[in-house]
Amino acid sequence: MRRSVLWTILRREWMETLRNRLLLSTILVPPILLTVAPIGLAGLIGERALPAELAGQILGQRPEWSVFSPAELAGAFAVQQFLVFFLLMPAYIPLSIATFSIIGEKQARSLEPVLAAPIRTVELLAGKAISALVPGILAGLVTYLVFVVLASFVYGPNLFGVVTDPSWLAGVFLLGPAVGLSSVVAGVIVSSRVNDPRVAQQIGGVIIVPIVGLVLVQATGAVLLGPGGFVLIAGVVLAVSLVGLAIGVRLFDREAILTRWR
Amino acid sequence: MSAVNHASPATGPPPASPVALRCVGLGRRFGDRWAVRGVDLEVRQGEVLGLLGPNGAGKTTTVRLLTALIRPSEGTATVDGFDVRAEPEHVRARVGVLTETPGLYDKLSASANLDFFARLYGLSPARRAERIEHYLRLFGLWERRHDVAGTFSKGMKQKLAIARALLHDPSVVFLDEPTAALDPEAAFIVRDAIETLRRAGRTIVLATHNLDEADRLCDRIAFVRGGLLRVDSPARLRGSLGRRALVVRLRSVPADGRLDEVRAVLGVEGVERVDGGLRVTADPAAPVAPAVVRALVAGGADILEVRVERISLEDIYFEIMGVRPDAEGARA
Repeated sequence: MRRSVLWTILRREWMETLRNRLLLSTILVPPILLTVAPIGLAGLIGERALPAELAGQILGQRPEWSVFSPAELAGAFAVQQFLVFFLLMPAYIPLSIATFSIIGEKQARSLEPVLAAPIRTVELLAGKAISALVPGILAGLVTYLVFVVLASFVYGPNLFGVVTDPSWLAGVFLLGPAVGLSSVVAGVIVSSRVNDPRVAQQIGGVIIVPIVGLVLVQATGAVLLGPGGFVLIAGVVLAVSLVGLAIGVRLFDREAILTRWR
Repeated sequence: MSAVNHASPATGPPPASPVALRCVGLGRRFGDRWAVRGVDLEVRQGEVLGLLGPNGAGKTTTVRLLTALIRPSEGTATVDGFDVRAEPEHVRARVGVLTETPGLYDKLSASANLDFFARLYGLSPARRAERIEHYLRLFGLWERRHDVAGTFSKGMKQKLAIARALLHDPSVVFLDEPTAALDPEAAFIVRDAIETLRRAGRTIVLATHNLDEADRLCDRIAFVRGGLLRVDSPARLRGSLGRRALVVRLRSVPADGRLDEVRAVLGVEGVERVDGGLRVTADPAAPVAPAVVRALVAGGADILEVRVERISLEDIYFEIMGVRPDAEGARA
């Protein structure tokens, strides 16, 4: 793989993304909402306490939270839900960029001139994948950092410790990128078969279903994933993504693009 | 079917020019169906070769094979000595391709479109800037270089796509249907651009089903339908069709019985009365015009005009393809 070719593709992909206002808005708006929402929620919860049964359930899974006051426990539980939301950014942003990029090229028929250049298809695929993956991961990380800074002011030191504990770090820094990769793979596979980016996003959006499932499970308080849980899930997602990537590489074959992609 | 033929045409490169492109027994199958098969061809440097054939004849497949975009199922092809099967990257570095549709990045400016491809072809920054300016000026797009390609007319987009195909100074330029779906004005602009390349001595393979375009621009024409049916220069194709006709316009057309002296002229194969005169078909090798004129004058005819009927490329096309659409059926 030649770095100069890869950089050339990345450069063009990002130039086009920056000129696509619709795509840009779908990348920028949700991170802002996801940063503001937890802070707002903390304000709404105020000094409220959780029902005793739920509080007991939570403390059973997170004994280290037993030092919190009832209000802090309620805040920690609410904030913990947002960890999963930070996985949504690496899930949907790469999907949006990959589908817009590949289907956009299909519609404009701009892939054939590129494939006629002395470029390897793996370089083209890598360029498209990285160009989609990086904004998603960056958005997740930057939003998380902003959230952590804000949390330190709003929630106080105890809740600041919650959003920087190993489960959050494993979720944001391991599971996030793995989810991003799976999102890119879904984008590549679906885009090779579909000619409308919105349809591709709807189909590829199934990738978000397990994340929503995780939200629901955590919201009941029955299961609050710890760092081990996030690492395990990240490993599974990564393995599935790599299998999908192998399929994507086959779909991204020069001949397949020219003769079978419609 | 094969048709190796590199006889020197009336125009184009001298016969001693090096071979830029050669294929032997080239074929490609999709599933059970052969898109194209048994293609034997040589194109010399500086030559303009037309690939002529109906939709689905295999023109685009041939172009894709020769540009190492798809692999042959059988046979070989080399561009500048590089094998399309064994050295596809070298081949792609040496060809320029105008695909059926311009395939530009509509959100990027004209110069950004070209810059992207110049980088892919590995041009140095100085060379990139020089080549981009050269071709944008050549095709009259320099003033619009900062405008996004999406705002360009079809003709301008096609010119920009041709510029893209030329940036890296390719040995062979492939133009696939360069004027398809263009209005007459845009098509004129593109043909003019191709003429510019031709004058510059570029080796060009032009896939088209525009007969007039092929006739005007090509040194040789290859008729394609599942393979190469025939390859030759337009002049030789006309000469080889095996008939020639004189059209004689007369003040009054003589009665059929008074045309026997014309029919008796050596080389004349037939005389038919047409509106306002006669159409005399003859052996192409026989110079019948003087004797036909003498016979008509001797018979008292007033001749207004005598001209040799030019065989159109359309006639040649249908002759070689072995089909002629039913005009009545088409009107129905």
